[in-house]
Amino acid sequence: MGTAISFTLNGRPVTVQTEPTRTLLEVLRSEFGLTGTKQGCDLEGECGACTVLLDGVPVRSCLTPMGKVAGRDVLTVEGLGDPDHLHPLQRAFAETGAVQCGYCTPGMLMAAAGLLTRNPNPTRAEIVEALEGNLCRCTGYVRIVAAVDLAAAWMRGDAPSGVAAPQTRPVGGDLLRVDIAERVTGRTRYVEDMPMPGALHVRVVRSPHPHARVVAIDAGRAMQVPGVLRVLTAADIPGQNSIEGYSKDETVLAPVGGTVKMVGDAVALVIAETPEAAEEGRRAVRVSYEPLPALLDVDEALAPDAVEIHAGGNVLSTFSVAHGDVDEALAASDAVLDVTYRTSYLEHATIEREAALGYIDEEGRITIVSGTHEPHWHRDFVAPVLGLEPSQVRVIMPPTGGSFGKRQDPWLAAATALAVYHMRRPVRVAYTRRESFDASPKRHPYTSRYTVGATADGRVTGLRLHITANTGAYDSGGYWIPNYAVVAGGGPYRWRGVDAFAQSVYTNGPKSGQMRGYGTPQSNFALECTLDELIQRLGDDPVEFRLRNAIRQDEATWLGYPVAESLGYREVLEAIRPHYRALEAAARAFNEGEGPWRRGVGLAGMWYRFGKYGIPRVAAEAELGLDGRFVVYCSAPDYGQGITTVIVQLAAETLGVSRDAIRLVNADTATTLDSGVPGASRATYWVGGAVSRAVAALREVVAEAASEMLDCPPSAVVLADDRALVQGDRSRFVRLGDVAAEMERLGQSRKVRGVFDLSAQFPNHEREVYTPHFVTGAQVAEVLVNVATGQARVTRMVAAHDVGRAINPRDARGQIEGAIVMGLGAALMEEYVPGVTTGFSNYYIPTAKAMPEIDVILVEVPSYQGPLGAKGLGEAPILPTAPAIVNAISRAIGARIHEIPATPERILAARGGGLR
Amino acid sequence: MTLYHVAASVEEALRVLEEYGGEARIIAGGTDVMVDMRKGKIAPRCLVDITRIAELRQIAVEGEVVQVGAAVTFAEIHRHPFIARRVHVLAEAARSVGALPIQTAATWAGNIVQAMPAADGAIAAVALQAEARVADRAGAEWKPVEALFAGRGVSAVDSRRQMITHIRFRVPPVRWGSAWSRAGRRESLVLPTLNCGVSVRLGDDGRIEDVAIALGPVAPRPYRARDAEAVLRGRLPDADAFAEAGCVISGDCNPRTSPARATREYRLALIPEMVVRTLEAATERARHLTEEAVPSNI
Repeated sequence: MGTAISFTLNGRPVTVQTEPTRTLLEVLRSEFGLTGTKQGCDLEGECGACTVLLDGVPVRSCLTPMGKVAGRDVLTVEGLGDPDHLHPLQRAFAETGAVQCGYCTPGMLMAAAGLLTRNPNPTRAEIVEALEGNLCRCTGYVRIVAAVDLAAAWMRGDAPSGVAAPQTRPVGGDLLRVDIAERVTGRTRYVEDMPMPGALHVRVVRSPHPHARVVAIDAGRAMQVPGVLRVLTAADIPGQNSIEGYSKDETVLAPVGGTVKMVGDAVALVIAETPEAAEEGRRAVRVSYEPLPALLDVDEALAPDAVEIHAGGNVLSTFSVAHGDVDEALAASDAVLDVTYRTSYLEHATIEREAALGYIDEEGRITIVSGTHEPHWHRDFVAPVLGLEPSQVRVIMPPTGGSFGKRQDPWLAAATALAVYHMRRPVRVAYTRRESFDASPKRHPYTSRYTVGATADGRVTGLRLHITANTGAYDSGGYWIPNYAVVAGGGPYRWRGVDAFAQSVYTNGPKSGQMRGYGTPQSNFALECTLDELIQRLGDDPVEFRLRNAIRQDEATWLGYPVAESLGYREVLEAIRPHYRALEAAARAFNEGEGPWRRGVGLAGMWYRFGKYGIPRVAAEAELGLDGRFVVYCSAPDYGQGITTVIVQLAAETLGVSRDAIRLVNADTATTLDSGVPGASRATYWVGGAVSRAVAALREVVAEAASEMLDCPPSAVVLADDRALVQGDRSRFVRLGDVAAEMERLGQSRKVRGVFDLSAQFPNHEREVYTPHFVTGAQVAEVLVNVATGQARVTRMVAAHDVGRAINPRDARGQIEGAIVMGLGAALMEEYVPGVTTGFSNYYIPTAKAMPEIDVILVEVPSYQGPLGAKGLGEAPILPTAPAIVNAISRAIGARIHEIPATPERILAARGGGLR
Repeated sequence: MTLYHVAASVEEALRVLEEYGGEARIIAGGTDVMVDMRKGKIAPRCLVDITRIAELRQIAVEGEVVQVGAAVTFAEIHRHPFIARRVHVLAEAARSVGALPIQTAATWAGNIVQAMPAADGAIAAVALQAEARVADRAGAEWKPVEALFAGRGVSAVDSRRQMITHIRFRVPPVRWGSAWSRAGRRESLVLPTLNCGVSVRLGDDGRIEDVAIALGPVAPRPYRARDAEAVLRGRLPDADAFAEAGCVISGDCNPRTSPARATREYRLALIPEMVVRTLEAATERARHLTEEAVPSNI
């Protein structure tokens, strides 16, 4: 079927038999196996991940019919260069740290290649213009633009392009990511790229109603669709119809007689031989619903006569803290402020959509390959659904295109496992982008009411806080949201009296769940904006006010207990002070001029409790392989943040060898230990801590064995990449392969375990006081606001963050830049509106054009207990961004913004002018 | 299966359309057609690709007249030296369509036939008082682009049997200028909250001799603000005149609330501001024939 279409593909003439209206993207991936070209949207040209060069010009391959390709020249990322012959752009992306999850990278590279073909000497604005159609959710675009600039300079011969000198130290020195050559050449196989002959395809029947009773499910017509093999409903679940370990009230499939509680709730799985048949089958399943009243906002859900979305009422959970006497503290204040701040539903919008592969492995286990934050947790959530023991299920973390918390949701793994269980064949599940927007968890919208006071000399007094979080239809890992909301909502400040309360409330909106910062960015936004209002009321200075009120290291917090890690907040504020001063002075000078554009500068701080999630005891293993290489076993899933590189760096540093001597086996329940979930920015501190201990123990064991062979004391043994030497005498050595063989011969274990255990400090039964580890940071935003139109643009961000110790300083900066641009999106443009938002065409994440200048200051106040002094970083930098930006806008326009996103409309309305 | 016919001439393209009796469609860049097909809005038996017809790939500047072929992409338009230097409203509108990898495929003619009320290319065409050559088997006729919009997303060009082959507009050599403004929820890859194109010609006496103001999305089709133009004609281009024109527009057009973009109220508030600013920029260029691009995105 189809037409023979000939064209040139990566320099070689090819002919393919295909329908001429099929897209180039589909043909590249399925006919040629060139899976470097990615699909991020629903073939609508919205994301740019599929960008290729057609006759040297960048085009969306998802909008290019094969009929157009006949006789022309196509270049994909695979043709740009290969791991042994990287194109300068690929090398520059690798060396500048322009790649995090790597899913947008091929499209970015091709858009950039198109630019450099046409314009070898582009300005920064021209680079941005060339890339602004390509969405990236991880990097904040900073390093991508820098990489294109660098590659252009190399290609013109304006910059030395010699290979960077080898770095001697793994930590703080050698910064390249471990699998970077594969990522920049399109060789990395994400789930959808993995070949799996004979795999079946699953599509999900989802509710179009926000709240309805499922009266009947008729799969008769669907089963008549050629290729459809099975329609699974709740009745086909062999175990429990629940993912309660994660989401206490969430079904896998809504049963007949039960209710769907949100648009996108799953009702049935259609399994077919082809994606097309599965989709046709999905459309053919007839579900009869009896619509029920839908409660879409928290006020409706809290009304006394409200329908109960879940039996027992519409409040999922609450948390409160009382400290001192808040009434007295407020009464003793010279200024008291009572304000309410609001935030919106937000979507992670990773460029890779949800996708999973399921099969039965060689040992008969139901095996799921899919993005996760902790494969062992997903295994334990999935097994009860199937009525199996956890040992009968295996979960493997594949290369993954971003998470930001989204991939903690185990629903996809459960559904995939259910399909494999019944079909006993490999299956694929891939969401559409629309489905991802409909069905994936969101960030909780908050309404935060703050009553705060301060004395005339600028000291905070009382804090009364009332937060209502919209958890949508399900718990979805949101049970602890009120706790996080309150803890972040008071900040690292010396409140004399606190009365704080937060509640998580069910509605029929989308389920809210985990998202970068988990419940803390919303309350920190409200806190830091409220403080800025208070500071303006007092005529005080934003830096000095915060310094004056920041707790000292040894002070008890308003939570009632001291912190258990170094705090670093004062150091952070001191670091940011000169930048704030300079930008503030420049803004004042600018605003003396005329015109509708006003400049504003805003400051916000934060503390973020990292690592409070999962067990305070983490294990990892390290082994000396028979080939003489070191192998590290742990569970630290890498969805783009770069933890695999950090782990390898830590191991190499501890052993005193180069990174090449380390092999990492990561995040597979069949081969690695449960290292606890890397939610809450745990991985570097906790898993890194366990790996450091495992590797240190292995070093002892190996040194002991080598010392026998070398006839020297163990303390005199030094490790190099492939050998153990006697210190001071390089001629006396044994090869590590020989050491391994000797240990094997003697029956000595070559694999040792390391445990990072703080459970004595933080007993599990005392949840509230558990792991009081905080990282801190502060950011300054500089904005331009057009007071006639309300348009706001962030021109510069300065960010100072205490990271403890930067294991990979470039990637640490990259995390901060990415968080800032994600926070900028939340501040200015992102808003998921149930019933309206469908995908990238109406959910506005920042493009390269929104990227401000970003200056990152890494403050290193070593942690007491983390590996080499490191702390958790991934989430924290998003906390100060939105409040810094909103404070800047508020100061620019002379009126307060109380709701994000601060759209042009809201900015104009806050100013009280314009709207008619 | 949908067939794909790469036409070598306009005549051939029209003949194939006729052969399919209304079940074939023209495809140029494909950025709309491919999405419409995927969504099931259209299901043609054949796509007729016009992008390899040499005469449709040209931008010709002859005297005061610029003529753009139907297969010319937005990227080719905004990179064209004359258009980039002299026809700001078109160059900047072309830069506003999606993002560069869309602009490298999408065409001005396709954007006009799509007939959406805020289509950047359509708004620019109206502001330029452009004409389109609409061809069918019976012959070809130049029609004002403004007359080609039959309703929201409905073109008077019957794409089952007709096609636009060229678009042309006049660029007076002196005392003429144009400008473009656009507001959106972000600065790229987004449909506009509001867009506005203006062209203005001044007389020897410095008064406004001719002016065209186009706005979107404020009506079911790209909107020509004729009342405001009438206020301005014969007046000196000063702040009072512009302000008056801006008010007339607010009273005359009827934007809607689009939940993911903006409310009607915000659009109404923005219109006078944007119209005045765009008029100012166009007039400034007409006065000085400045060749420097003035940033116009707000």
